[in-house]
Amino acid sequence: MNISFREWTKSGSPWVWLNAGAVAICIIMVIGLLALIAVRGLSHFWPADIMQANSTVNGSTTQLIGEVVQSEDVPTIQLREAGNDLPGDQEFMVRSLIKIGNRDVNRADFTWSIDYYLSDREYPEMLFAAERREWGNFYGYLRALKENGNVVGSYDGYDKTAEYEALWNDFENRVERALDIQEDIYQIEKHRIGAINYELERLRLKGRALELDGVTDQSRYDELENRRNELNAEYEGLQQELLDLYTLFNRDSYVAEVANGQQIEISLSKVVRIFRPNNMGFVEKIGHYFAKLWEFVSEDPREANTEGGIFPAIFGTVMMVILMSILVTPFGVVAAVYLREYAKQGFVTRLIRIAVNNLAGVPSIVYGVFGLGFFVYFLGGNIDDLFFPEAKPSPTFGTPGLMWASLTLALLTVPVVIVATEEGLSRIPRAVREGSLALGATKFETLWRVVLPMASPAMMTGVILAIARAAGEVAPLMLVGVVKLAPSLPLDGNYPYIHLDQKFMHLGFHIYDVGFQSPNVEAARPLVYATALLLVAVIALLNLSAIAIRNHLREKYKALEM
Amino acid sequence: MTTEAKTHAIDISAMQRQNQTLRLEDETVALTVNDLELYYGDKRALHGVNMTIPKNRVTAFIGPSGCGKSTLLRCFNRMNDLVDSCQINGEIILDNQNIYERAVDVAELRRRVGMVFQKPNPFPKSIYENVAYGLRIQGVTKKRVIDETVEWALKSAALWDEVKDRLHESALGMSGGQQQRLVIARTIAVKPEVLLLDEPASALDPISTLKIEELIHELKKDFTIVIVTHNMQQAARVSDYTAFMYMGDLIEFGVTDTLFTNPAKKQTEDYITGRYG
Repeated sequence: MNISFREWTKSGSPWVWLNAGAVAICIIMVIGLLALIAVRGLSHFWPADIMQANSTVNGSTTQLIGEVVQSEDVPTIQLREAGNDLPGDQEFMVRSLIKIGNRDVNRADFTWSIDYYLSDREYPEMLFAAERREWGNFYGYLRALKENGNVVGSYDGYDKTAEYEALWNDFENRVERALDIQEDIYQIEKHRIGAINYELERLRLKGRALELDGVTDQSRYDELENRRNELNAEYEGLQQELLDLYTLFNRDSYVAEVANGQQIEISLSKVVRIFRPNNMGFVEKIGHYFAKLWEFVSEDPREANTEGGIFPAIFGTVMMVILMSILVTPFGVVAAVYLREYAKQGFVTRLIRIAVNNLAGVPSIVYGVFGLGFFVYFLGGNIDDLFFPEAKPSPTFGTPGLMWASLTLALLTVPVVIVATEEGLSRIPRAVREGSLALGATKFETLWRVVLPMASPAMMTGVILAIARAAGEVAPLMLVGVVKLAPSLPLDGNYPYIHLDQKFMHLGFHIYDVGFQSPNVEAARPLVYATALLLVAVIALLNLSAIAIRNHLREKYKALEM
Repeated sequence: MTTEAKTHAIDISAMQRQNQTLRLEDETVALTVNDLELYYGDKRALHGVNMTIPKNRVTAFIGPSGCGKSTLLRCFNRMNDLVDSCQINGEIILDNQNIYERAVDVAELRRRVGMVFQKPNPFPKSIYENVAYGLRIQGVTKKRVIDETVEWALKSAALWDEVKDRLHESALGMSGGQQQRLVIARTIAVKPEVLLLDEPASALDPISTLKIEELIHELKKDFTIVIVTHNMQQAARVSDYTAFMYMGDLIEFGVTDTLFTNPAKKQTEDYITGRYG
């Protein structure tokens, strides 16, 4: 091939290469980002082997038990300057982060250790891990099981024997039993007592409303009082039931030996899950992995959001986005229809269009401040004065909540819906409009029956963009309704079922909270990645469903070939 | 060749028509145009047009591009209202009422004066819904009434046999000729008095064009038809009366055969003999 540079340039290949390169870089970056958060996030749920080793620092030896979370090369000089007595023949040394758990015993559940100090590494099959409701993971050797304080089984060795297996099976059964009781307790506390409390609060508000209305008819107060007494009686019954359940729940405990040889007794009511990773086969580990993953997406968070699941955050995010879409679509469409179809095209409409486009560029926190000032304090405050005077001084809508967050985001995203809808309206062929008008339809009928349906794919494009923007927004939400931990979901079985005034959790804020506000940084870090991955997945899912709707509409109102 | 045979058939009907010896003075008047002037901004597009459109006849407007024939046609159902800069003086009388009066309900006028456009413009709905559209607009909800009207309109538009088995499929899947006949069916479904056809066959192939021409011939029993066409042969074939327009003026208006065989004006003769246009 003998081709001059000039010809090569003329042929357009450099241009093609440049374009292809740009696309390739974009794809690599996106895939790299997703791969990073996927690997970092998803590996967290894998049951890592528990290591046991002796750590000899300055002559004194201690035993370490825990999972190696990560290892890194560190310059020896740096370690030496930190006060470690190390030989100088190596430039780098390996330092590992070990999750030693047992925060109640060790104070911290992570420790850094230089591999040089570690000797006699082993992975004994008998070591077990227990996930607990508080104090994080527990690692140790099972020594005894107790029922009501009496030992019902014990084992002293470090080897795997039939006797030990029997004890472990008993342990597993007892944990299973405790979890079943816990589920019952949860049902009573969360749903039945929750419903009673909810109704009691409503009764209180009703009574207060009667007082405010100046109702003197004693029978109506009595009615409320009677219902209140009924509920209280029911509550007492449940309370008794709970008490019994708690006695059963706290019956068992286990004794285990931890790294320094100490024996610790822990109630089974604190245990969520027990497992022996060193004893697990690959298939078992996969089972465990998916169980953990399911827990992550379906359960409530525990321990200041560093353990457990993030279901309320997923739910809150999806619900807020759906509400936002419901609010923003009519808003944006109506505005676009006026701007494009009815308003006289001129200086003012051009000005409005520019303003709308600029609104899309306003920093989101500004919307948050506006939402707080206007929606929450002004609108919410007035709604409270008008409709919920009985609840005062505690606010109902005059406080950040789901509705205000959705409205604020609807305001934030309304420009994209307007722009997309206008674009769509302008693309409807004139011939179709005239066809409708020539049949005696008014402008409104033409819009309603022909133009808007044909523009609906464009509206959906606007909604898709709005969703993409709103689902990832965090800053304004912190001001208008998102909290670190919401006691209940905004959708439940208590009338009126959907609670727009409630505060809610959000994946974006959850990432911020877990990543930057957590007391236990090391434990939280993998969850940041996992939550980020989930947020991306949720946004992708929301967008894909919107795109599916749009494609359906497109197929239905296929534009005419004109 | 089918085309020739068909043309021949139409020519025979034209000959029959001659026997009736049409005279404009004997016709019932459907529309009267008095001193109609139309401006697009500062540009005058129609210069004081005066004419009468006879009832239940086909009237063709011919003339070179930009002569104002489409503009005049669009005046009959006030389609020019949609053009912002358009201003109209003079009057068009339909049933003793000037359609440009303030009190006139434009939607009602357009129902009475239907229009078919150059390119087929079916709505992105089913065939059935396209034809039912005008009825639904008028608030007809009885399914039986709509069913009957749709069938009648499609039969009148000579489309029923082709589409009766796929009434609920999208109208966009039809051929161009079928679409145009569907648009005609849609227009006659609301039973207008006048049917305006703005070059209805210009985007169609010869066979479809012939079908449309036959259809026009059928439809004039029930409707007053005004057709704009570029094609002089077409005007000669389908129309009873022809108006020749040039540069916004109505040059000559009369019985089609007379206008084509023995034009009164030099300009008309030049145009129909192909000296310009």
